[in-house]
Amino acid sequence: MKLVYVFSKTGRLRFVSHLDLQRFLLRALNRTDLDLAFSQGFNPHPLLSLAGALAMGYESEYEVFEVRINGDTDREAALDTMRAALPPDLYIKDVKLKPDNHPSMMSLVKMADYTISFVSGFEAVRRGAEAFANSLSVMGVRKTKSGEKEVDVRALCKGIEILECGVKARLMLTEAETLKPDLLVETMCRLGGCEIPEYRVMRNALLGFDPNGEPVPVAEL
Amino acid sequence: MTLSDRIDLLMPKVLKPSRYIGNEYNSIIKDPASVQVRYALMFPDVYEIGMSNLGIKILYHTLNKRADTWCERVFTPWPDMMEQMRLNDVPLFSMESRTPVREFDILGISLSYEMSYTNVLQSLMLAGIPLRSGDRTEGPIIICGGTCAFNPEPLAPFVDLFTLGDGEKSIHQCVDLIKDIKSKGLGKDEFLRRAVKEVDGAYVPSFYTVDYDERGIVSAVRPAEGTGAPALVKKALVNDLNAADYPEKLIVPYSEVVHDRIMLEIFRGCTRGCRFCQAGMTYRPVRERSPERLMELARKLVSSTGFDEISLMSLSSGDYSCLRELAHQMVEEFAAKRVKISLPSQRIDAFLKDTLKETQKVRKTALTLAPEAGTQRLRDVINKGVTEDDLMRAVTDAFSEGWNAVKLYFMMGLPTETDDDILGIADLAEKVRKCYFSVPKERRAPGLRITVSVSVFVPKPHTPFQWCPQTDEETVRHRQLLLRDALRSVKGVDYKYHEMDVSRLEAVFSRGDRRLADVLEKAARKGCMFDGWSEWFKKDAWDEAFSECGLSPEWYNLRDRSLDECLPWNHLDCGVSLAYLKSEYAKAMREEITHDCRKGCTGCGIKRYEGACR
Repeated sequence: MKLVYVFSKTGRLRFVSHLDLQRFLLRALNRTDLDLAFSQGFNPHPLLSLAGALAMGYESEYEVFEVRINGDTDREAALDTMRAALPPDLYIKDVKLKPDNHPSMMSLVKMADYTISFVSGFEAVRRGAEAFANSLSVMGVRKTKSGEKEVDVRALCKGIEILECGVKARLMLTEAETLKPDLLVETMCRLGGCEIPEYRVMRNALLGFDPNGEPVPVAEL
Repeated sequence: MTLSDRIDLLMPKVLKPSRYIGNEYNSIIKDPASVQVRYALMFPDVYEIGMSNLGIKILYHTLNKRADTWCERVFTPWPDMMEQMRLNDVPLFSMESRTPVREFDILGISLSYEMSYTNVLQSLMLAGIPLRSGDRTEGPIIICGGTCAFNPEPLAPFVDLFTLGDGEKSIHQCVDLIKDIKSKGLGKDEFLRRAVKEVDGAYVPSFYTVDYDERGIVSAVRPAEGTGAPALVKKALVNDLNAADYPEKLIVPYSEVVHDRIMLEIFRGCTRGCRFCQAGMTYRPVRERSPERLMELARKLVSSTGFDEISLMSLSSGDYSCLRELAHQMVEEFAAKRVKISLPSQRIDAFLKDTLKETQKVRKTALTLAPEAGTQRLRDVINKGVTEDDLMRAVTDAFSEGWNAVKLYFMMGLPTETDDDILGIADLAEKVRKCYFSVPKERRAPGLRITVSVSVFVPKPHTPFQWCPQTDEETVRHRQLLLRDALRSVKGVDYKYHEMDVSRLEAVFSRGDRRLADVLEKAARKGCMFDGWSEWFKKDAWDEAFSECGLSPEWYNLRDRSLDECLPWNHLDCGVSLAYLKSEYAKAMREEITHDCRKGCTGCGIKRYEGACR
């Protein structure tokens, strides 16, 4: 069966890169008493995958990894053994038991919710945020490994709420359409005519769509 | 804002913030109010190097077993972080609680190589601690141990106390002492006065006066009257490694470090007696851990860390007396958990090869051999007890077992070396190549690769070559090119050699005296640090530092010392006697070998220590 773990990665752990986190989780799995299923081949490794990469420096209260085990286990046991193998700042919030043929979490993720907080200087950004929220289309430049690409930033943002010192935003997160919080901030600041102040990003949820097309946290699917 | 918050603000500005996260899995957090002694244990290099050091792991573990002490780790921040810390007034801090280093009771520093000396000074400066021992009236007592403590003279003015030898016991003696000193409200002077009596291997450099003759050569090193310091400081020796503390948990780093695996020290010391090897002399006698103890440790470490590889460590793991038994047991027990057992590959016999085949990643790595010298004559001089036949057997075996890559390590500039010895290296490479082609085509793996890697020899204190000049730069360069040309005719050879700058400096400081402290300080103030990293090595700054101090590096590295010279470390006893080193030197010059002392005592002097070799 597959175990789908929901965990938070906060505090200093925001400086652990995606690759480092993967290696760390593999070792944590070795510390559990789970009967891990291994890949075939020359250098077998546990079948672990993360639902999405989190940029270095971002915190998250909703990250997901899944791992295959031989046979079955119960929810409590799966939760306890994993919690015991991880440090307190990498906290396992929940586990879901899924059949082996359940679609991968990574393939189910479509959007993510973020809270972007500004340490100071939000007043100027706020004007940009409001203008952004009230526009139908705002173009911006998305930088990727293969070069720069002009995208409609507004269209990739499925919801935005202005808070006292920041914004809460729902952004697309699929292979074809992705909006990173950094580009949203850059775009809002451009509209607000201000420099980019220091800010912190917290991912609140990874979302997929239920059969009715409603967004739900991905581990619920 | 707390110091921790201020450190976090720097993280996005540096290349690898994961180096400074701290709180890794299995790191130890205590309530500062619950302990009497706070010990900062520093490795003066970057995190991923320091986290791979076995000594640090052992000491961290043994200190934190005490309820009265909290030991925290400190590493030298990489230059980008150092710059950010300076700009933002962030002092050097510990990994666990992020407490400024200057607030600890003791700062213990591990000295593994001379090229970390500037990092020691840089770290002190960053900590806001005055460099010179005499200028410090408050702040932590600075204690240095590790390999380089056997000639610590270039650091003498900066360090309060050196501890020679094994640290498992002496570090507790230091903590017991500081606890008592603190409870009585006394200070550093009293600590040092008592340390020379109560701490094994304690060397307080400020208690000794050094005289120089008219040529600038040390003529005497004597303990000052009334200090109670011994004329000859004997090293600390932990005889029973089964009883000695060894970590049962290891910190699991978030980022990749150099040795990302369980390091299991199977024995300490080496019996081979290679004359160039400082570790082979200073870590005597050989002390093995029992297979039972090692299995017990391995079990605990595998389950507490989740690492999938155990490396059996020592100076020469093939010499472990129960290696077959141990390897077999480990493979049997850990194969199901997919834990690999790795060994240095040079002395793998047929039995071991079969045992390890399944778990070891043998086929991915090259067979590594260290003949060290190109001719039998020179191998006899350095007492590298390896013959050409041994080598040819080893590589032929490996090639018929499906290896296709061999790495050969050599040194250049060894005492008595001539151009012929260098050409012997090329000759050996050619013979290795022939061995490969002597294996039938259907049995050997395609694509032969031979790597010839040649480092520059650095004469080290407490070795039979401690009197020898280093070979001068011009000769080294000539021989490097000579070898390059000679290897051109051997197909499939990759030749690696290094610039001599760093080896030259290493040779200066490894056999240096106290006057070099000024050079070190000047170099550090000119920004020298991470000298072992070629991208940070600042040759010009070093040259300036030497000339401003009126000292010549050549006087230190190229001078031929006479056998009766008072060497700056003669008052420090590593276990091997001066008389033995002299006789070994004489035998080297006669091209005579000394047998492995497992086959019978060679009288090196370590038996003067209670319980040694019994």
